[in-house]
Amino acid sequence: MSFKDSIKISFITLRTNKMRSVLTMLGIIIGVGSVIIMMSLGQGAQNLIIGQVASMGSNNIYIEPGSPAGSISQQVIDQQGKVSLKAKDAEAIAKDPNVESVSVMIYGNGVASYLGEDKKITFMGVDEKAMAISDLLVMSGREITEDDVSGMARVVVLGYKLGQDLFGEEDPIGKTIRIKKLSLKVVGVLEEKGGQIFQTFDDYAYIPITTTQKLLMGVDYINAILVKAKSEKVIDQVAENARLILREQHGIYNPEGDLTKDDFKVMSQVDAANMVTQITGALTAFLSSIAAIALIVGGIGIMNIMLVSVTERTKEIGLRKAVGARNKDIMNQFLIESTTLTLLGGIIGFLGGISFSFIASIIIGKLLQTSWGFAIPFGAVVLAFGVAAIVGLVFGIYPAKKAAKLNPIEALRHE
Amino acid sequence: MIEIQDLRKEYCDGDVKTVALDGVSFNINKGEFLAIIGPSGSGKSTLMHIMGFLDRPSSGVFKFENQGIEELNDDQLAFIRNNKLGFVFQFFNLLPRTTVFDNVKLPLIYTKISEEEKKKRVLDAIESVGLSHRIKHLSNQLSGGEQQRVAIARAIVNNPEVIFADEPTGNLDSKSGQQIMEILQGLNEKGHTVILVTHEQYTAEMAKRIIKLKDGQIVSDEIVKERKIAKNGLYK
Repeated sequence: MSFKDSIKISFITLRTNKMRSVLTMLGIIIGVGSVIIMMSLGQGAQNLIIGQVASMGSNNIYIEPGSPAGSISQQVIDQQGKVSLKAKDAEAIAKDPNVESVSVMIYGNGVASYLGEDKKITFMGVDEKAMAISDLLVMSGREITEDDVSGMARVVVLGYKLGQDLFGEEDPIGKTIRIKKLSLKVVGVLEEKGGQIFQTFDDYAYIPITTTQKLLMGVDYINAILVKAKSEKVIDQVAENARLILREQHGIYNPEGDLTKDDFKVMSQVDAANMVTQITGALTAFLSSIAAIALIVGGIGIMNIMLVSVTERTKEIGLRKAVGARNKDIMNQFLIESTTLTLLGGIIGFLGGISFSFIASIIIGKLLQTSWGFAIPFGAVVLAFGVAAIVGLVFGIYPAKKAAKLNPIEALRHE
Repeated sequence: MIEIQDLRKEYCDGDVKTVALDGVSFNINKGEFLAIIGPSGSGKSTLMHIMGFLDRPSSGVFKFENQGIEELNDDQLAFIRNNKLGFVFQFFNLLPRTTVFDNVKLPLIYTKISEEEKKKRVLDAIESVGLSHRIKHLSNQLSGGEQQRVAIARAIVNNPEVIFADEPTGNLDSKSGQQIMEILQGLNEKGHTVILVTHEQYTAEMAKRIIKLKDGQIVSDEIVKERKIAKNGLYK
């Protein structure tokens, strides 16, 4: 029997039982659709984050305390307790001729209060260069200056939203707020930075780093060193040099450059982007595999309906055998029928998933005020049709075998 | 052409053993028109199924064109059914919601001849049963007699050596039944061997030879002396 004939027969059968075909396909439609949505949105999120990371400046290198070894959760735990980075490390790195500027940071959590208004905040201890490197602009008042840092001034610059929350319509400049019992004078408010996915610069309070270390936290370490290289070309060189300097500073003997022996991590923006890609990739895979369960359920639906179809058409099978169909012909016919069902479901699910993702990307873009890119991952296309076809074959094979094995006489007698 | 010796067929249903054919022997030559007659349960359908390569005997010899059925695998049986045999059933067994053309074409989709040749053969077969004006009708839009004529067209579309007709008139009024018998007699005139299974003496007498079965054994095997000829002017 020719392939064309088989396709024709399967379409006649599907048309004869329209309602049943549509309901059977629904499982596959939902399965393929949700996998597509997960993958498309995952890809969109990844593109967005990578775009943002890139826009933050690809010349930047970020240094954190803690060994690069171990799982991500382990690293998070490590980081809390790591005290290996000091301000003098930053000074040493700044001597590299390829480095344009270096800034240091420390951060912590606390409650900010003004006239009985309390708000939980994250405060950032920064030096005078940090704001420029992080691209933060002052809306009113002034920035943290070199004098603030060297003089351990009790001043604070508020993020846009924090200013709104604490002061409302009132002008915050010149007012005094309290963080952890320390009175700080507001000297500036930053411009609104807008929706960032993982960081909310608008919620932070920026305090001179020396003030933060000595008066707020009582420590001498720092949480991060931000290094700006002179150009993108020297970034790897700067990163490697920073490692060598830090090893010398910390007295780590590590001539073979084994990163696991270090007590710090040097990450370029590219590394950060890679890490984010890994995380979103894992998340997408996880969500997609949940969606894939719908495909399995859909496949069972296909098998069920094909079994019904075999029973219903026992007489037809007997007749086909009587006029010369081989077992193989009958088997192929039913396999092609189930695969046609799933592929059709795959196409509809694909189109539905893509349309949903497209609309979702517009809505998310509007809500977060970012340019959320709509993406159709190529893998999703292959997956949708590949999986649909495989589901059709796998779940169609048992009913098809059952049909092929029917005894022609029994089949013909069947009423 | 067909050689049968001491053919037996037993069915086992649990502990109960039913003997459907109990040592049957006869030969059929090319061009014969044989009627197998007997009451229900006499084994006539079982005999036809074995001769039609739809079933295998329990023991005994069944040879078609000097080839024993025991030498053939399932695919080879399918090939013989497809190329050398044609079947007409009591309940027509047409594909529902399928055109006359596609119903008649059914045996040809399992062959490897060209699409043009298939079309030509289908049209010829439909014409020879006088249904050219019904080609695009769906099978369920036809009368019983017309449906059986479609079934005959389907049986002859592959130009078979032997045509098996299992109670072909059993589900028709007498006029339509006559037309069907006339077509079968015409096909026999053209050289096809026709094997008719029936329980009606009257219908059997339109054949050239009658084998009577009872309880799985042959009671009589005679040439019809006063053969009845169906005539209605339909068959071309």
